[in-house]
Amino acid sequence: MPLGLLKYGINSDYPFDKEADLPPPADLKAQYDVVIIGGGGHGVATAYYLAKYHGITNVAVLEKGYLGGGNTARNTAVIRSNYLTPEGVKFYSASVNLFENLSNEFDFNIMYSQRGQLTLAHTDATVRSFRQRAEVNKHYGGRTELISPSDIAKLVPTLNLNPANLPVLAGLWHRDGATARHDAVAWGYARGATQRGVELHQLTEVTDVLTHGGRVTGVQTNRGVVNAGVVVQAVAGHSALLAQKAGFNLPLVAYPLQAMVTLPVKPFLTPLVSSSALHCYVQQTSRGEIVFGGGSDPYPLYNSRSSLPLKESLIASAVEMFPFLSEMRLLRQWAGITDMTSDYSPIMGLTPLENYYIDAGWGTWGFKATPICGKTMAELVASGGKVPELIQPFELDRFSRFKQVNEMGATAASH
Amino acid sequence: MTRLKNDCFGQWIDTTQPKKFTFEGNVIEGFDGDSVASALLAHQVWVQSRSFKYHRPRGPLTLSGQDANTLVQSPKTPNLLADRVPVEEGLQLSGQNYSGWLGFDLSRTLDWFGRFLPVGFYYKAFFKPRGMWALWEPIVRRAAGLGISNLSVKADYTDKAYLFCDVAVIGGGPAGLHAALKVADGGADVLLVEQDPSLGGSLNYHAFSSDLKETQRQRDALIRNVFEHPNIKVLQSATCNAWFGDHYLPVLQGHRLFKVRAKQTLLATGSSEQHAIFRNNDLPGVVMCSAIDRLSRLYGVIPERPLAVLAGNDLAYSTAFSSHDAGATVVAIIDLRAQCDDQTLRAEAEARGIQVYAQCVVYEARSEWGAHRLSRVDVHGLHHDSGVGQKVASIDCGVLAMSVGYMPAYQLACQAGALLQYDDANAQFSIGNLPKGMHIAGSINSVFTLSALECDARNAARAALRALDIAVAERDEAVDCRASVNHPWPFVKHPKGREFVDFDEDLQIKDIVNATRMGYRDIQLVKRFSTVGMGPSQGRHSALPTARLVAKATNRSVTQTGVTTARPPLTPEPLGLLAGRRFHPLRRTALHHRHLALNGQMIPAGSWQRPAYYGQPADRRSAIDAEVTAVRTGVGLIDVSTLGGIDLRGPDAPEFMNRLYTFGFVKQPVGKTRYAVMTNEQGVVSDDGVAARLSEHHYYVTATTTGVDQVYRDMLKWNAQWRLDLDIANVTSALSAVNLAGPLSREVLRQAECDLDLSPEQFPYLAYREATIGGIPTRLMRVGFVGELGYELHVPSPLVGELWDRLMTAGHAHSIRPFGVEAQRLLRLEKGHIIVGQDTDGMTHPNEVALRWAIAQHKPFYVGGRSVEILSSRPLERQLVGFELTDVSTQPMEGHLVIREGEIVGSVTSCEFSPTLQKIIGLAYVHPEDAAAGSQIVIRIESGVCAQARVVKTPFYDPDNARQSL
Amino acid sequence: MKIMNCPLNGPRNISEFVYGGQVKTMPDHRLSSDSAWAEYVFYEKTEIGLVLEWWLHSPSSYWFIAERHNGSDEITRTFAPEAIFCDRVDFKTSEVPV
Repeated sequence: MPLGLLKYGINSDYPFDKEADLPPPADLKAQYDVVIIGGGGHGVATAYYLAKYHGITNVAVLEKGYLGGGNTARNTAVIRSNYLTPEGVKFYSASVNLFENLSNEFDFNIMYSQRGQLTLAHTDATVRSFRQRAEVNKHYGGRTELISPSDIAKLVPTLNLNPANLPVLAGLWHRDGATARHDAVAWGYARGATQRGVELHQLTEVTDVLTHGGRVTGVQTNRGVVNAGVVVQAVAGHSALLAQKAGFNLPLVAYPLQAMVTLPVKPFLTPLVSSSALHCYVQQTSRGEIVFGGGSDPYPLYNSRSSLPLKESLIASAVEMFPFLSEMRLLRQWAGITDMTSDYSPIMGLTPLENYYIDAGWGTWGFKATPICGKTMAELVASGGKVPELIQPFELDRFSRFKQVNEMGATAASH
Repeated sequence: MTRLKNDCFGQWIDTTQPKKFTFEGNVIEGFDGDSVASALLAHQVWVQSRSFKYHRPRGPLTLSGQDANTLVQSPKTPNLLADRVPVEEGLQLSGQNYSGWLGFDLSRTLDWFGRFLPVGFYYKAFFKPRGMWALWEPIVRRAAGLGISNLSVKADYTDKAYLFCDVAVIGGGPAGLHAALKVADGGADVLLVEQDPSLGGSLNYHAFSSDLKETQRQRDALIRNVFEHPNIKVLQSATCNAWFGDHYLPVLQGHRLFKVRAKQTLLATGSSEQHAIFRNNDLPGVVMCSAIDRLSRLYGVIPERPLAVLAGNDLAYSTAFSSHDAGATVVAIIDLRAQCDDQTLRAEAEARGIQVYAQCVVYEARSEWGAHRLSRVDVHGLHHDSGVGQKVASIDCGVLAMSVGYMPAYQLACQAGALLQYDDANAQFSIGNLPKGMHIAGSINSVFTLSALECDARNAARAALRALDIAVAERDEAVDCRASVNHPWPFVKHPKGREFVDFDEDLQIKDIVNATRMGYRDIQLVKRFSTVGMGPSQGRHSALPTARLVAKATNRSVTQTGVTTARPPLTPEPLGLLAGRRFHPLRRTALHHRHLALNGQMIPAGSWQRPAYYGQPADRRSAIDAEVTAVRTGVGLIDVSTLGGIDLRGPDAPEFMNRLYTFGFVKQPVGKTRYAVMTNEQGVVSDDGVAARLSEHHYYVTATTTGVDQVYRDMLKWNAQWRLDLDIANVTSALSAVNLAGPLSREVLRQAECDLDLSPEQFPYLAYREATIGGIPTRLMRVGFVGELGYELHVPSPLVGELWDRLMTAGHAHSIRPFGVEAQRLLRLEKGHIIVGQDTDGMTHPNEVALRWAIAQHKPFYVGGRSVEILSSRPLERQLVGFELTDVSTQPMEGHLVIREGEIVGSVTSCEFSPTLQKIIGLAYVHPEDAAAGSQIVIRIESGVCAQARVVKTPFYDPDNARQSL
Repeated sequence: MKIMNCPLNGPRNISEFVYGGQVKTMPDHRLSSDSAWAEYVFYEKTEIGLVLEWWLHSPSSYWFIAERHNGSDEITRTFAPEAIFCDRVDFKTSEVPV
């Protein structure tokens, strides 16, 4: 019995109020040093690193809904760094490293579980691409290798190695792959930030961005005007819409991304398993539920509605991979709105508006980047606009210079 | 025990058809028509499951699948709801989620440690010091989960079907039946979907009046009219599990998933009876009033032990009276209210000898020590402000039936975008903001009396008809329903807790309140932090009390607080039904069986099957090498039918070619071929092929196997904007093709009776000709992909088999050899030709792969041209070059990295050992400074070993390109 | 799932269609600046509202244009491309045909 729980049982009226994770609603001040638009994982992570590592606490995080209520609440919690480009691998590896100690970093259990992630290759072309990804990963210290079907059979004995007439030729086995309680990541960061003086304002929507002379001066919200020296936007699916208010465009298209979950059963699957050809990945949460995810919806929509055809094809693929799943029951399906870039890499750093920084273009790859994103965006803010080297490749300007960072092959159906 | 079987009781069971099944190893006899739960209750087996967290014994609550207290499992399937599983002879079931057995679960100790496990406790512990969670996690995972998945189960047969209707009426209770008839009478087609095995809904079990027989007569008449109506199709034991856009409704019935397309949706799905929240309200024996009604009226089970009723509305009294009249011992009605709406009810109770405790509440439910079953309830007085007063009685009872309110079955409506509004005055949620084409009627619309819901149903039917543009003359009827069915605060906080708000997740009052005190104030955060509503019943019973508790704790109205989002599916749906029969279409060329006859080892190429090589897998390497050698020294034949083929015909065909491809085609001579490279709008190389000009206005251009569909679509889209005068036809399947290659290919073609002058002067390299081969009309092209004298022959697909046989026969004397994809890949590599998609990636632009020569600089426009120009003005960051190694012990593979000064600068895209050249050759992206022939590059191969390679000019083989020009 | 009213084939399930991107006007590829050209290639109109889009009915390979609300997913109208693209598009010819 963890000793930490004793305090709850001994004192019959545990002072939950004093020990609250999050502060009660408060008034909005007229001015902050930093305003962060978007109270999802990235937004509160940025606030946390600002407060803890840079001593910048006169910060307000403005969230139009509830804390972490966007994609942080809806993702399928895949943490991995087995990408293709050196820029991507360096970046996501740094995030994986931060995730490994995150619970202890901010004193909140995110139930981080390094189970390993296995991606299946069904064609020669995919095997080639996987080999390259393994090599790039290894170059930067990751634990990723190309493994054979017989190795796969030992790792995941319940997997069908010949699904849908597409025999598995090899697997990309990424030992660093992990999962965590995605909501808890937002709560842990928010708690750590607010305990250090950052203000979190939920139900506070930014309706306009205020500028003067090419520089941001503050934001208009549904609760009044807030002035700020620096503004960071981290609003995922609605990034392009908000950016327009700040006077510039983003090369993003918003697509729904759906996921679904079954009733819980006793554990039978340890690694996260993904099939590129079948556009499906399967994992079992700590609660015992099986989570399924796949590719994005086929057309753009600013709406998180679910659909039947995608569910049918996703579950058909899942049942091909694990035939006994046919007897399990689906409990719930949901979706998030993902802001997709044409190169499947994010957009981070400076914008045409001075002192207005961007964290966007997170498509289907945002949750795993939460810690490194918070850390680098905080560095960007604290340094007065000096873009950290790790995120320089993701600058907004790269599109007008035709200098994309192409991660398409490493993203589809893996997330 | 004997069942009560007459017109009004035991309606669903057939006592002449007993059925035996086993539960937890014990044989139970039920009847045809029983659910497993009802049969178990008939035998006093009230404990049917164990709860998720505290492993408390649980029994039926709603007896209609609305709760998850009856989750059991079969050897094949976990997580079945016993109150929805029909009894079958030989069925084997057991409980779930226990260590020990259902009657004695060692994990119950978690319940005793409950005080140490407050809401969200797992976020505060188990992770210090660093690394602790990795030790705890496997333990937590083993404790989690409900049923056990059978890993070797084989899927049952399932299928899918489509249905269409004008109006889908969901729910075959009184409102649904009236609405269906009204719509059908109006001339529209109705699909009536009912979850239960028979129609009737609450008419089957609820005592709307004391004259049960009369209610049944009305019901029978309604049902008869429905079945006899030509415009109504009925699906029973069918669940409409979601609402998707434009009224697309998945209806699950047995092994079939119906995909219903309706024009209008009318929801008559009723409402969920709600529970009272007091200590130990989860004891087996504490049930909803409707559960007791169903138990007696549908299954003929009359409780043997005394029955008490907890009333928050008048409807509970019907249950008390009808149970009493059926022979149960009803010892008390505990009424939360001072008065009933219907003043006569108290007297009626008295007349039946039932004691009424007015303005009282059940403070605690108790069981006998060791028995997991209700044995008595402690009744306390209630103050006006809902504060609890002194104990007034202790009532011995084996069953407590409660009815303190209703929640509309809002899920389908809210999935479609409807909103819930809470009326403080009558403490009820109602549904508003219905989307276009959706109507609701009956108790889902807060209408509870029979006469009123008939009017409501007809109004909804009229609205549906009008929306279908069917004229409806009559006006809508007034709906007069003054029933107040919801008690505003059916909570009794107890110092020792265990007053369950959410049975699935074992959450009590303080858990919900403490979540808000921890700062999780939004209803969504309360849900995610406490897990309320996240269990199998998805908030059917926890949403309302949670909204009320959170509203009070956070000082907001219940409407502001709201409930969490309704998401599909409505009920847990078997994955097998969603997956269906699963088809995996394969595309085969017309030569498929010839490949198999020759031992072709087939691999996927896009959706097609192609032979990788011919021979036994054990001899793969030698087979491929032999095929390569045959092409280099003799003659080989490959099936290239999967290659895309597009015919462009019309006066603007030349201009169109110019715009779609990088090269120039307007001046391409008739009878000649040209290499055709395509870039996308970003300037990235997207596809390539060969374009033959058949006549002034006719081009035939090939494309890659996996790219042709996209090429064709893009062509059509561009011309939809440009409106050039040409026709674009995708003839990939209409024509099949083979490539006859090797120094002896001319001779073989001649002997195959090709009626063309095949001399090099008349049919030079890169030319296009039309001829017949043994009478088969053929398009012939001399192309250089594999670097030998060769002919690509395109014929109508039905004739390619004959062509293949003819060529193989003619080539027999020359030891002709079929060759596959692997040999072709090697042959083209020896010539340094790129494969789009293998040697190019999502960012490769023409300059990186030395394709500048294939760009016609001066033509007006081509897709991607401007982008290519912009890319060309920037210094190259990488370049694709040829390389070779003489040390064969360190063969790089595709994907290995090119390293320069410790950094990644590129990667290998193609690499093979060339049997022709007896060395390792390949293509790789390298740093531009290393692109010159003679440069040394470093390739990191397996296990970190570094191989030294030398950059060489391509082609590796026959650098003067003499052999293909023979 | 939504119904798309194909101008050629009538109302069909949206799963029969392929989304082809927003209807965009290509700027003069010769005269526009590099940044204007990059904007055409990589950027789209950003708003929640009615958008004109290219859609392909896959089984019949028919391209058409739909006006759809990208927030509510309501498809307000569909029409043949000729309604917008009525004239032949020519690019300025160069001096020497190639």
